[in-house]
Amino acid sequence: MNLFNFFTSRWETILDLTLEHFIMVITAMVISIALGTAVGIIITMNRKMASIVLNITNVMMTIPSLALFSLLIPILGIGKAPAIVGLVAYTQLPIVRNVYTGITNIDTSIIEAARGMGLTEMKILYKIKIPLAFPAIMTGIRTATVMGIGIGAIAGYIGAGGLGVYIFRGISRTNDNMVLIGAILISIIAILTDKLLEKVQKKYEI
Amino acid sequence: MDNIIEFENVTKRYNNANTDAVENMNLHIKKGEICMLVGPSGCGKTTTMKMINKLIKPNSGNILIDGKNIENIDSIELRLSIGYIIQDIGLFPHMTIAENIATVPVELGWEKGKIDARVDELLELMELDPKIYRTKKPRELSGGQKQRVGVARALAANPPIMLMDEPFGALDPITRGKLQDEFLKIQRKIKKTIVFVTHDIDEAIKMGDKIVVLKDGKILQMGTPSQILSNPIDNFVSELIGGNSSIKMMNLIKCESIMQKVYTMDINLTFEQAKKSFLESQVNQMVVTEDGEKGKYYIDLKDILKNNGKVSETKIEIVDRVLMDATAKDALAEMFSTGKHYIFVEDSSHEIKGIVTINNLLKVVSDGDSGSI
Amino acid sequence: MVTAGLYKNSKKYIKNIVIILILIAIGIILSIYVVENPQDSMVSRLVSYNKISSLLKQHLYIVGISSGLAILTAVPIGILLTRPKFKKWTSRVVGIVNVGQTIPSLAIVALLVGVIGVGAKTAILALWIYSLLPILNNTLIGVGEVDKAIIEAANGVGMKASHVLTKVEIPLAMPMIIAGIRTAITINIASAILAAFVGGGGLGNLIIAGNNISRWQVLILGAALPVLMALIADSVFGMIEQKIKL
Repeated sequence: MNLFNFFTSRWETILDLTLEHFIMVITAMVISIALGTAVGIIITMNRKMASIVLNITNVMMTIPSLALFSLLIPILGIGKAPAIVGLVAYTQLPIVRNVYTGITNIDTSIIEAARGMGLTEMKILYKIKIPLAFPAIMTGIRTATVMGIGIGAIAGYIGAGGLGVYIFRGISRTNDNMVLIGAILISIIAILTDKLLEKVQKKYEI
Repeated sequence: MDNIIEFENVTKRYNNANTDAVENMNLHIKKGEICMLVGPSGCGKTTTMKMINKLIKPNSGNILIDGKNIENIDSIELRLSIGYIIQDIGLFPHMTIAENIATVPVELGWEKGKIDARVDELLELMELDPKIYRTKKPRELSGGQKQRVGVARALAANPPIMLMDEPFGALDPITRGKLQDEFLKIQRKIKKTIVFVTHDIDEAIKMGDKIVVLKDGKILQMGTPSQILSNPIDNFVSELIGGNSSIKMMNLIKCESIMQKVYTMDINLTFEQAKKSFLESQVNQMVVTEDGEKGKYYIDLKDILKNNGKVSETKIEIVDRVLMDATAKDALAEMFSTGKHYIFVEDSSHEIKGIVTINNLLKVVSDGDSGSI
Repeated sequence: MVTAGLYKNSKKYIKNIVIILILIAIGIILSIYVVENPQDSMVSRLVSYNKISSLLKQHLYIVGISSGLAILTAVPIGILLTRPKFKKWTSRVVGIVNVGQTIPSLAIVALLVGVIGVGAKTAILALWIYSLLPILNNTLIGVGEVDKAIIEAANGVGMKASHVLTKVEIPLAMPMIIAGIRTAITINIASAILAAFVGGGGLGNLIIAGNNISRWQVLILGAALPVLMALIADSVFGMIEQKIKL
């Protein structure tokens, strides 16, 4: 049966999987952005911590995602939990690094003027540092999210659901249609998300 | 208490440093005075200034503002009450000019109407049309305009004290000169106590009421501009001033203090009478009066002698003049452009009050050399 | 002063070599541990020195070929795009390669499977696509950032255009290009695990197997070895970059 027919005959399942994928990725991204931004801000206050944390997140990214997920299974069981934890871990680097660089790249005379004028550190953080670092942070979020969509697909292998399921199942059953549907849909979602976030990013450029 | 800022035996040494950045400094700054901290790189002038608003903490000694030890004042509260301008200004790029200027008033909780009015007032003071500049962003402004906004921002909450760290350093000489003049004009109105750091001795001389020369963290010499110029305490200060201190002196002295009284001569005098009048008074120019009214014309001895002419025929219209509070240097500049050896001095209502001749100027220079100002 | 610089550099050099040796040692120790102390008979049947080394070889084969192809295509294309005649194609080409980067590597592999079936060749093709962007980008930037004054001088001295390219521009762009290759290869080594899913072999098989039989030893081996390799590759290239910068 050709691709189009395959799609139309299974569209309900496909829709479910797509939704599942979305929810998984969005949940993980919300947590990751919150965590990553907090960590990124904290390490701007301490250079030593900064290099340690950046190195750790760097290494976290080299670990093959599949391996990470698999290792989390004995601790968290199979399904969504290890997937989300793994996703959060993976997407930390682009976010943390961009928050850190975004803030540390701000012209020091701006911060000095703010401090000398009498703004508290907190006020400086949310009135000046974060707004000025926002373009960099947005870029990090964009990279992280697109990455998250892809890794979310890999999570399909460990029973987390999502479109990855179609790909892996398709491979093991030699069902080309399944594989292609899964791959095409994920690709489209990834590209659309990238373009969408690019628009948001451009809007906030100073 | 006349002294608004006082340093008592203040010392500061940075970590990992072999010497003190500031050593046992004792300094009194009077209310309403512009105090210039001058010296080469590393002399401790910026460190000294930054200790006033607690951006840097001294290792020992006391700093008092209005008689209170600043150690007991909350840092944030202190800084909100002191205006602060740095060389790169540090305007917030993501905020409009109006929002930048409003920063401290917003922190202090002023109500919106008051803030808006103040922003407009300051922009006008800086000669930037509020209607145009309120909503602009820093990147749309030139260097000079940015610096003006920086000053406005520091003045926003009307702090009694201002700290300025080489604020005009990054500008080209012409813009710098203009801003210095404008600032002095504003200071005459607002009379703030200002601590101004610069490495440019000419700026210090032009703008300061008191000059403090620093070297290696210590005060070498302290005094008024003319004191420093006429009595440099050692070779270092002399070299700092540079040669031509007497020429520099010309920049300080006002025409008012060096001009000579101007003589009058009636328009109906004959040649002989005019000649006699000139001989008696020993001047070369006199203002012509007509029916008691004076001010429009003058007569030059040279012209009378040349033409054997009558006063009424050889009179010349007075065109070039300088104001009483113009400097000797301005008078000299006018003489260069007119090609004459004299220039008339008028007051703000255009009445001729005196005359400055080249001899008056030479006396300034020679007096300066012998230090007898 | 020069000798001081050289001394410092050789200290860094030695540090790098030590790190690489440590990483290799960890890999060997880990392998020995699993082979000599299997959790149970399932593991011992699965994992042997032969098995590990053959999977390692497969993995390196896939990484090597795909990276080699990527270098051989991306570098020349990158250089070509910096030539005045072809500058206008730059944004279009970069745009296309960018899309390839946005699509998750799994999806690329899967798309290829749907089209050309399974096997090592599919994996190699997918990895080739994925490695293009970092190398292409860095080549473009590297050549583009060569100080115009130097090129002008070279032209002015009478150098042939082809010589200016090969003797001045490319050597000066090398550090950037190598950095791009370094990024591509490091990502490649980890991504090559997916090859196992399409019958391409490689260390991914250990992860799949470990998952299937739920034996953490096998899993860890399958995960750790590629990571160690990626870190080693990163260090090696780091050293090469340093050497070239001099």
